[in-house]
Amino acid sequence: MHISDGVLPVSVSIGSYAVSVGLTVWSARRTRSEEMPKLAVMTAAFFVASLIHIPFGPTSVHLIIPGLTGAILGPSAFLSIGLGLLLQSLLFQFGGLTALGANALMMGVPALACGWFFQKFKGGTPSRQALVGGLVGAGGTVLAALILAVMLVTGGEDFFGVAKIALAAHVPVIIIEGAVSCLTVGFLARVKPVLLLHGLERAQGHPHG
Amino acid sequence: MDEWTAIRLPLWQLFAMVGLPVLALAIIVAVLKRVARAGSLEKGEPDWSVPHIEGDAGDSPLHRWDVRCKIVTILIYSFMITAIRQMPTAFVAIGLSCLVLVVARVSLAKVLMRLMAIVGFITMFLLVMPFTVPLKSGDTVIVFGGLQWLHFSMRGFNLAATICAKAVAITLLMEPLLATAPLPVTLEGLSRLGVPEMVGQMVLLSYRYLNVFRHEARRMSTGMQVRGFRKRTGLATVQAMANFLGMLFVRSFERTEQVFDAMRARGYKGHFPQQAELRLRPADLVGAGLWLTIGVALLLYDRIGW
Repeated sequence: MHISDGVLPVSVSIGSYAVSVGLTVWSARRTRSEEMPKLAVMTAAFFVASLIHIPFGPTSVHLIIPGLTGAILGPSAFLSIGLGLLLQSLLFQFGGLTALGANALMMGVPALACGWFFQKFKGGTPSRQALVGGLVGAGGTVLAALILAVMLVTGGEDFFGVAKIALAAHVPVIIIEGAVSCLTVGFLARVKPVLLLHGLERAQGHPHG
Repeated sequence: MDEWTAIRLPLWQLFAMVGLPVLALAIIVAVLKRVARAGSLEKGEPDWSVPHIEGDAGDSPLHRWDVRCKIVTILIYSFMITAIRQMPTAFVAIGLSCLVLVVARVSLAKVLMRLMAIVGFITMFLLVMPFTVPLKSGDTVIVFGGLQWLHFSMRGFNLAATICAKAVAITLLMEPLLATAPLPVTLEGLSRLGVPEMVGQMVLLSYRYLNVFRHEARRMSTGMQVRGFRKRTGLATVQAMANFLGMLFVRSFERTEQVFDAMRARGYKGHFPQQAELRLRPADLVGAGLWLTIGVALLLYDRIGW
């Protein structure tokens, strides 16, 4: 769920822009400069993944995958998500202008938290990694929903009702995200464990040429 | 406390007031979506892996406007719109945005797509806020039948409508901002405004590979369908989709290495050749000043009124 323009108070929009820029700079510092083009290519992959819809009863849910992004990219995840949002706004007629910072926070902060949690608790066996991956997938979505609700509530008590509905609307997404993240991490742990190693920056540590 | 005006209406009017507009909106959105999709599709089957980044060539004041001035002006103006509090001003802002659309002559199908993208989020406000806003003295409330807990607050409706109007006003400006110059020029403008050059490069690279991976994802999903896979609600589908995602990541990851090596082999040293040349003319600044003055006037009208 994207926050659209004109919803948040001006102070919150500008504040979240400032925090997002700060986090992006931090995230870029944690990424080696020659890894940037690779990060751009991985961002494209996550973008395509987020276009996939999964049926859920009468409707379908599209993935946000903050958990997977965090688990695979580590600290670079925030940069990747900011880039994805910019891309969406520039070229896919989707996403706002004044709410860009708020949206980046809503999806980027959970990704960072998920990345940290995943690296901390992933353990060694594929099944444990899958379990932690699922936890991270569901938890990341919960966190995103909470950030959305908090931002809406900054508008005053008139916004409490909307914030509650927005939280409730995330419940199916949380279930699907958890299941998909668990199974995807399980797949990666068996097929290409290097992707889950340390985040992108050190996963490709061997020098080129 | 407890000093609000209550208008009593029979229960069926609730369905007339809420159900019918929602139904009408749903039908309009469905039709518009089809129109927007038909309008934005190119003839024949395009090569999906080659991105299309040249903006529509056009000649309008917005196309000629210096891209730096355009970005800064529209960004500041959008924040001004966000600060609006009264409904009439918000609708004036929509009117002004429509005027800009007419002047810029951008693709209406693209504008519609942007509107469709926000319609779900803002409809939630329109539907939820009138029923959940806390009552304050002086409010007008419509009570339906004997249901005391179900009251439609006019103040909440007003608030929600203002928010929606602001969202629409800003969304209408996005196409004039982004589609009146080719993407490389817009990115060049951003980098001249202090955004690191790497950001622009990464956008271009991501966009290129996004189309490649979309192509790849389509091929993989065709393969799955040929082997009898159908999307259903259930664990089997989730398992298949998870493997699909995992495979997509593995292939993309392997590709990043090849892409990077190929770039280095062609002499990539951290930047692409410059493509755009930007010149700032006095007319650009006058345009920016004029537009921002209108924004300030709008805000003054909103806060003080005359």
